[in-house]
Amino acid sequence: MAPYTNIPLSPAELSYLHTSLSQQPPLRPDGRSPTQFRPLIAETDILPSANGSARICFADGTEAIVGVKAEVEKSRLAHTVPSNGEAAGQGVLGLGKGSARDVGDEMDVEGDESGGKGRDAWLEVAIEIPGMRDDDALPVFLSAMLTEALLADGGLKDRLWINSRFHWRLYIDILLHSQALSYPLPLLSLTTHLALLSTRLPALVSEKDEDPLFNDDWEASTYLYPPTTTTQHQKPPVTLLVMSVGATILFDPSKQELAVADSVLAISAAQSSTGELRMVALRTIDPPSRLTAAGVPNVLNTTTGATGAQTLSAADVLAMREKDQGQSVWRPPRGGVPRALVAKMIKMVVERGGVGEEVMEGLANVET
Amino acid sequence: MQADRRRINAPSGGTAPPIFATPKDTPLRRPTRTRKPDEHRKLFLRTGVVPSASGSAYYEIPLQSPQQPELLVPSSSSLKITCSVHGPRPLPRNAAFSPNLLLTTHVKFAPFATRNRRGYMRDAGERDLGMHLETALRGVIIGERWPKSGCEVVITVLEGEEDGWWGDAGGQEGGRAGGWGMMGVLAGCITVASAALVDAGIDCVDMVSGGVAALVQDGQDGTKVGGEAKIILDPSPSEHQNIRAGCVVGYLQSRDEVTEMWMKGDAGTQVEALVDEAVKAASLTRTVLAEAVREAMGLKMGKASEEATGGLKEDKGKKKDVVMTG
Repeated sequence: MAPYTNIPLSPAELSYLHTSLSQQPPLRPDGRSPTQFRPLIAETDILPSANGSARICFADGTEAIVGVKAEVEKSRLAHTVPSNGEAAGQGVLGLGKGSARDVGDEMDVEGDESGGKGRDAWLEVAIEIPGMRDDDALPVFLSAMLTEALLADGGLKDRLWINSRFHWRLYIDILLHSQALSYPLPLLSLTTHLALLSTRLPALVSEKDEDPLFNDDWEASTYLYPPTTTTQHQKPPVTLLVMSVGATILFDPSKQELAVADSVLAISAAQSSTGELRMVALRTIDPPSRLTAAGVPNVLNTTTGATGAQTLSAADVLAMREKDQGQSVWRPPRGGVPRALVAKMIKMVVERGGVGEEVMEGLANVET
Repeated sequence: MQADRRRINAPSGGTAPPIFATPKDTPLRRPTRTRKPDEHRKLFLRTGVVPSASGSAYYEIPLQSPQQPELLVPSSSSLKITCSVHGPRPLPRNAAFSPNLLLTTHVKFAPFATRNRRGYMRDAGERDLGMHLETALRGVIIGERWPKSGCEVVITVLEGEEDGWWGDAGGQEGGRAGGWGMMGVLAGCITVASAALVDAGIDCVDMVSGGVAALVQDGQDGTKVGGEAKIILDPSPSEHQNIRAGCVVGYLQSRDEVTEMWMKGDAGTQVEALVDEAVKAASLTRTVLAEAVREAMGLKMGKASEEATGGLKEDKGKKKDVVMTG
């Protein structure tokens, strides 16, 4: 197995896979169509002590559990600028003219604004992947990706606002239960989506700026993403992994397919209240194919009896390898992805009747 | 003498309480964007600043707007980034075989880089930037020409772009989702790392340059809502109240490809326009990048030819000496 990539494929196998995937229509190793997902088992509301939870198990044995917990927290007073032109920090320190109380009064004015009251810090996503430290690159990248998709939506953090003095703090704890066989982003994202859909917060009894008091009847609790009778309601975002090989676009790539990817994108789409999908975040992901070993052209291969390697100079060998351009043997991809292809990938996810909508529908049918 | 550790001693000299020299009734003014929507801020880029590294570069976007004269606090931040590249150098003996150049990127904000102090340990945001940068650079480096070797790209952000105007409520958030300053920093990191890679002489398919664009919807006179949404190049987050979406690209101009794209926020139907603007910003940055690299190359070539002739003269001198003693 090649180190640093964990891809147990030889250059010849990579080349074979690349050719079969770049055909029209592409031939995937497991016989799926380009937009087809791997089968999965999902259930929600499985943890009794969490506000919301879900579990998804892919057919290849990877499994993730997500628990959502909410806590009431006192809001930190926002730093505002009093009209007398003195920075708020000075007032709090007691060094300026304004007192700390003045700053608090300003906060009330701020709280009356409609919308935009939520803060990014009220949402915390933690990812636990076995065999990895929590400050390793992958968990950090994944949690940043999921967090920015959830926050870009805007509606979620505003719903965590209780009154000007208190707010909910939402902890989303993601536990990957098995070894990461393929890139785990879609699995974690779909599980988080289901967990958030099942998340309920206790109903508020107190009014306005009182200390919050909640109804202890769990039946009366409200959903974080309130369901409506129609299928079109606001839903948390899902992040889909899309890869390209040549001009072919594939969804939900397996590990072997990622090993020959030219480019990989993670696209997050959220459903608005009108039922339309919008893209809320996008990132390129470094494909593992860039770390694979290049093949040796036949003219240079000493084991096939060619004497090229002995007779040619180093410059000629390099020129020959460059000229081959990955035509006869495998060469790790270079460069990036054309803009038109990115636009096409986004469109395939977001468009009406596209892959994103299909995934949302599938997830909505999961029974608790 | 044994120091008295049981109590906190008073300072040996007298102290005076700090007095802040804010004049009365100074209205705080949000900096405004004076340049056109498709105009980039002026850049400074120079390579070869760290002699001990195999390649290095320094990038700066200096303060554009004049300082509000009656305040000591700068109204917006400038951006200063240094980058050094170490390598390509052999992997340690105990490392596994790698057929390609192993690239590691390390992005760190200096503790004094932002208004709020940063710690010495890299936090999640900095690690995330490192991942983005790695994605952007991995695509351009021709790794298979250096088997069994590694290369480190180390970036120190000396002054980071802010996420919003410091006078705003909340401070850190400009608009619906925070972290817009990070996007500007990433674009700068990509450009400066690209210049440093060229300086180190590592083979690349093209020079990658970073560019940012944002979709802003500023209201009239200080209101957050309303106003017309427009796309601007190279946003300075402190100048805007409501940034709806942002996009960073790492762009290869000669191949017309994108190695890195990071977009967040709700751009609605204007996604493609936003990407195009970001690419335009990257193309503008590339002109500076190309100029800086050309300048450095010229200096190097000049020095090399000088050294060659100088060396020759010295040799001649030595020979003469030998002749004389013989």
